[in-house]
Amino acid sequence: MRVAFVGKGGAGKSAISGTFARLLARRGHPVLAIDSDPLPGMAYSLGLDRDDAPLPDEAIEDRPDDEEGPRYRLRAGLSAAEAVERHAATAPDGVRFLQFGKIRTDPRALFRSQLAFRQIIKELPDDRWHLVGDLPGGTRQPFTGWGAYADTYLVVVEPMAKSLLSARRLARLASAAERPVQVLAVANKVSESGDAEMVARRSGLEVVASVPLEPAFAAAERAGRAPLDLVPESAAVGAVSLLVDRLDRQPLRGAAT
Amino acid sequence: MDFSGQVVVADLEAGVGTLTRLGEAGVDLVLIVVEPTPKSVEVGCRAAALVADKALGRAVVVASRIRSDDDLTMITKAFPDHEVVPIPDDPAIVQADRNGVAPLDSAPDAPAVQALVRLAEELVPSPS
Repeated sequence: MRVAFVGKGGAGKSAISGTFARLLARRGHPVLAIDSDPLPGMAYSLGLDRDDAPLPDEAIEDRPDDEEGPRYRLRAGLSAAEAVERHAATAPDGVRFLQFGKIRTDPRALFRSQLAFRQIIKELPDDRWHLVGDLPGGTRQPFTGWGAYADTYLVVVEPMAKSLLSARRLARLASAAERPVQVLAVANKVSESGDAEMVARRSGLEVVASVPLEPAFAAAERAGRAPLDLVPESAAVGAVSLLVDRLDRQPLRGAAT
Repeated sequence: MDFSGQVVVADLEAGVGTLTRLGEAGVDLVLIVVEPTPKSVEVGCRAAALVADKALGRAVVVASRIRSDDDLTMITKAFPDHEVVPIPDDPAIVQADRNGVAPLDSAPDAPAVQALVRLAEELVPSPS
């Protein structure tokens, strides 16, 4: 499974993707969670206490002048899979967690880690991990290569006008992508009957999960804790579990069946 | 362009990316909107540091979706050197969002809207 969660900022991508990654790992799958948001997010919902985990300098080197490509690359001899094994953080339930660090004051400080991260997600082997990505809000990253590892985009949509508009744009961009990707919707913060149907109708996307608006889930966010740790019995966690059921039917791409 | 006598209000992209590219004379006031969650507070602190580093002007923290004294304390503790303006969590704002309408039109008397009206009045007093 190679999925990327996208959607408008604040829609709930991090909370859902972190919970999704851990529930998938609990089924015995090797899971790599990929966080390309320069703002804090997925680490908390995975249950990590450290949010900022850039790739270390020792894994990265300047690209030689006679070689084409971005200014920095993984150190010679270090493959993408090895870089993950050595440098990705380990989250609860055995989820490996890859990110390039978080913006503090000067975004240039992240360039080295960011370029190495881009190389890793481009060169990841097909048959090693299930991939669960959390992309930043909006439409910029998903279709400029940051979600290229995914074969399914899950658009997290709130039943609100602005969120629905973002979902429609993301769906349109996906349909124009160079290679085919499946785009599905996750209706989040559902509070009224008919919300999920409204999301389907107005986004034009198939809704594969309906996550209720629930104070307990929001409380986990306020506490900076993983919903799966703080409120494992909540209906929202249950809805994410159903989403895992729904999507956990495909073998790893490239794996022997 | 000459904006003298006018007020320009810009709604920047989420995060601090745009702030990092803003020039010194770009703005004279930055409103940092923060929710009572660790993630939001962390981003807000980075934004406040950038405003100070780049001498962008006055920074005011708008504490949004405040439900309790604890919520507000979480934010005031994180921004001890800033003015913090609380905006209550208000279903009227959520409902306006659901309907895709301006809260000022649909619920002008809602507590959150009133708090924002007072903030605007404090920042840019109406001509008397």
